[in-house]
Amino acid sequence: MIRRRLCIALVAVLAFVVAACGGGGSSSSGPTEIAVWHGYQDTEGEVFKGLIDQYNKEHPDVKVSELYSSNDLVLQKVLTAVRGGSAPDVAYMFGSWSPNIAQIPQVVDMSGEVSKPDWKWDDFYPAERQAATVGDKIVGVPALVDNLAIVYNKKLFADAGVAPPTPNWTWDDFRAAAAKLTDPSKGQYGWLIPADASEDTVWHYIPMLWEAGGDILSPDNEHAVFNSEAGVKALTTLQQMAVTDKSLYLDTTNENGPKLMNSGKVAMLVTGPWDLSQLSDIEYGVQVMPTFAGSGGTNQTISGPDNWVTFNNGDKKKQAAIDFVKWLSAPEQVKAFSSGTGDLPTRISVGQDQALVDKMNEDLPGTKTFVENLSNVKKVRPTVEQYPAISEALGQAIVSVMLGKDQPADALNSAAKAADEALAGK
Amino acid sequence: MPARVATSPRSSVLGRIIRSDNVSGWALVSPGVVLIGIFGLLPVLMSLQLSFQKSDLLTPETPWVGLENYRKLADDPVFVEAIKHTIIYTALFVPGTMLVGLLVAAAMNRSLRFMSVYRTAAYITMAVSTISQGIIFLWLTDRDYGLVNAGLRAVGIPSQSFLASPSQALFVIVAMTIWGWTGFSVIVYLAALQGVPAELHEAAAIDGASAFTRFRTITVPLLGPANLFLLVWLTINALQLFDEVYATTRGGPLRATTVIVYYLWDRAFVHFDAGYAAAMAYALFVVILVITAIQFRLARKHVHSS
Repeated sequence: MIRRRLCIALVAVLAFVVAACGGGGSSSSGPTEIAVWHGYQDTEGEVFKGLIDQYNKEHPDVKVSELYSSNDLVLQKVLTAVRGGSAPDVAYMFGSWSPNIAQIPQVVDMSGEVSKPDWKWDDFYPAERQAATVGDKIVGVPALVDNLAIVYNKKLFADAGVAPPTPNWTWDDFRAAAAKLTDPSKGQYGWLIPADASEDTVWHYIPMLWEAGGDILSPDNEHAVFNSEAGVKALTTLQQMAVTDKSLYLDTTNENGPKLMNSGKVAMLVTGPWDLSQLSDIEYGVQVMPTFAGSGGTNQTISGPDNWVTFNNGDKKKQAAIDFVKWLSAPEQVKAFSSGTGDLPTRISVGQDQALVDKMNEDLPGTKTFVENLSNVKKVRPTVEQYPAISEALGQAIVSVMLGKDQPADALNSAAKAADEALAGK
Repeated sequence: MPARVATSPRSSVLGRIIRSDNVSGWALVSPGVVLIGIFGLLPVLMSLQLSFQKSDLLTPETPWVGLENYRKLADDPVFVEAIKHTIIYTALFVPGTMLVGLLVAAAMNRSLRFMSVYRTAAYITMAVSTISQGIIFLWLTDRDYGLVNAGLRAVGIPSQSFLASPSQALFVIVAMTIWGWTGFSVIVYLAALQGVPAELHEAAAIDGASAFTRFRTITVPLLGPANLFLLVWLTINALQLFDEVYATTRGGPLRATTVIVYYLWDRAFVHFDAGYAAAMAYALFVVILVITAIQFRLARKHVHSS
């Protein structure tokens, strides 16, 4: 009998423990606590934590805590947390998610906030502002900006007797150089492209499409127009390099780019500043993207700006979160972060700081070209909710052409059909 | 212990209930029941509900759409392709793993020096995480720089694209997962083989049966339960293939390795169509249920249970 009572007591204790696990209260007194989810590691992580420590020291009424969360997965995690009623106060989110993020009710619309003059919203690059804007909402504040440019291996160019890229390069020049830089006996390729049919593949193609005079969607975002003459021209260039010349390494697993570049197996990458730090074994140069003959030589590129997104967890926390983001994205902090990490400055005024840019270029050669290249970002990808579906269709089309399974016009036409269906909401 | 009549003056219905064997039994299992209920059963039911709704995981509104998600499945060419890939994969992976496992187990079912080393070596693939397995195979099978192609070139065979080729990728994943799961089937078969009574073999040998005849007429029938277990277990796992695809090909190239679970993950978490993905998950659930039922029925006829 005693034993049985003991059991019941034990179970009751267990049940209590289980119940207690779900709890977790918040105290009403003391500093306002806000949680920031970010994907910074290594140097970036240290510099970012340094900034948070500084903020906490300067603002004793607020306590900012940071939590690392892989950028690729943060949206899933945030969605789960929002559903569970425990959203972070601030999270780093990819700009390509903006249209989807805009639908989350807890996301704070910053449009009223950033229009205040002390935000200096116009000091952010146009591409950043556009990527944060969905309809009449502003879903985030720029956290990172980048762009694509040619990164090339100087030694391989010299060995093959090919002149290094210039801003006047056309895609024909690019193709000819890539062919000369390809040597099957050494397993050496002129160029490498991510070919997993993801957005990573697609955003390598889009600047070519723009430079050729095309666009992704019609101005009203109603239907796809990438299957234009310009679209075919851009995709044909990829086809010629991948199928005819075999000078283009198709990285179908999207794992190998910087590794092969760093080991001298690939002569050129079209990539962003984030890869530069991995190219420690080679001497590389950076040059803006090629143009198409007759396009007017605008060297267009694409930018993938990411944002700090704020969530509404009650007025007090919301205000603390907005204040923190405002501080974090102010010129002084942007400068400190860029200087410490080599990430491109998110503000125009900081990007024009020659002393800073020179210092960054010394730390990581080529950074200067990437900073200057920000002015070649003329267009952004459409911020429509259906973009993932459009990107998926386009990605499959591009890869099927590069693998020699389809012709550019046919592939783009069927992708455009799929994109139109997605846009029509089917 | 016989139920005793309570002597306490506070004896009541409640008291009797608390002291009854039933209640304390339930109380003891309740933490388990509650945990499984919350983390196992509840999500299964919520996912069923989700499959009748349109949900993007973003907005709180989840309108009911009836059978719309299930209807969409039938018209989705990618889903049909995913089924095809899943069937091909399962049809190759399950018998492949069982056969390789049986051969390795038969070779190891003897006393040799260092046998425990060999057995550990055979099982160790199970200790490798599926993600590392995928990355190792990516390196091994790389078209230009992989070890496998270096070997092929050495014997005069041109380089193969393997995981980068739409026509080969699925088969590379079959080979990779057979390698990964062999340790599991080896352990199961080894246990079964050691359960075969030596006297039967001796008696048959005395009667003049050859080693092959003994294997066929004594060992194989006695492996029935192990076969059934592996068949069901490996089939269920094969139909739910995901990690290895995620780690290697991400469903590509050109969707050549898009299997059902990968596709449903892609719909739910890349394209935010959670209702549709839930419908897919339920379709798969029914398929697994039916296949397992068929396997058990066939087994009841053919498996020699001891």
